[in-house]
Amino acid sequence: MSKLTICRLTSLLLLISLACCSLQAQEKPKPKKEKAPLLSGVAVSADIVGFAMKAFGAKFANMEVGARINLLDKYFPAAELGIGDCHREGAESGNRFSTTSPYMRFGLDYNFNKKHNGNRLFGIFRYGFSSFKYDYLNDSFSDPVYGVTRPLDLSGEKATAQWLEFGVGVETKLWSIVRLGWSIRYKFRLDLSCPEGGEPYFIPGFGKNDDNGWGGTVNVVFDVGKTAKKTKK
Amino acid sequence: MKHRLLLILTGILLLAACESYDCTLYNYVGMYSQFYQNGAKVKLNDTLTITSGKSGRVLLNRSVGSSRLTLPLSYWQDVDTLVFSVKDNNSIHRDSVWIIKSNLVHYESPDCPATLFHTIEEVRCTHEFIESINIIRSSVNYEQTDNLQINIASASN
Repeated sequence: MSKLTICRLTSLLLLISLACCSLQAQEKPKPKKEKAPLLSGVAVSADIVGFAMKAFGAKFANMEVGARINLLDKYFPAAELGIGDCHREGAESGNRFSTTSPYMRFGLDYNFNKKHNGNRLFGIFRYGFSSFKYDYLNDSFSDPVYGVTRPLDLSGEKATAQWLEFGVGVETKLWSIVRLGWSIRYKFRLDLSCPEGGEPYFIPGFGKNDDNGWGGTVNVVFDVGKTAKKTKK
Repeated sequence: MKHRLLLILTGILLLAACESYDCTLYNYVGMYSQFYQNGAKVKLNDTLTITSGKSGRVLLNRSVGSSRLTLPLSYWQDVDTLVFSVKDNNSIHRDSVWIIKSNLVHYESPDCPATLFHTIEEVRCTHEFIESINIIRSSVNYEQTDNLQINIASASN
């Protein structure tokens, strides 16, 4: 083999090795998958709408606080406890309805956002329950035919209600452990047990008594949790 | 896109802000009665007046050709006394009817008028022109079906 041939072969090998190196350099790095720990945190929250409605003298308000656990930054088992408050007087009838009673909800939030960037898009499911007392009063309740006027006093009527809620919510990090979020929920009543005379006007935690209804929350959340770790695929 | 979202949100807020009163449209509570003679429905040819026994209030005034009655019951009394007066050309026949009942307050919403439903437990009467009274349906509420069957004597009509 002549020196020229050896030189040509060596040059060719060098060129091939250089080309291979440059191709390898152009390949994208392997993507890293973010993985959150199983117990990624705990959080407590308060619905500021209910408290604001009560502060501004609204005729009804659901004031609630909640707690939840963050599992894998995806599943959030949650519990909410609150007090439903309603004082309403009929414009023309003179009937007064009032209740101030507790309620509770249990359920799960599912985070659809796969990136662990602090923003969360939730699918929400809740089971709600309330065992409550209410008053139905009218100081001048009169018999239109026989003309007898007597106060109508139905105090301490007992009722229980159960319902389900489905909804969506968003949440974002504001500062440090403070987060802000809101949700909108569709509610439908499963069961209502109440005295024979009539149904309550308002169900604590559910809202105005009906077969179904809408509700929403604006939550301030204090979230203490671990950050997601980036691991190689 | 932002404008659409704003419109949708505004629509939801407006819907949430609307309030409707779902009061029952037909909210008259009355006791429905039908006259019978020899097992068949009849019309009274004479003039019928019905007053409440204690207060003397006129519940039905000089009705001619009555076949079906709708009478209000008192809200709070356990026994209502009704006086039936039938006047023909020559004379007046009077019968007293006692309705023994229980009363139950019925309410729907603070915005709707409350009322009372009743359960008729027993009916007694004198027998001047009324032969007997049968309870067909004891519940007196918004339903417009007959509660009492008033059987009148054969010679009265």
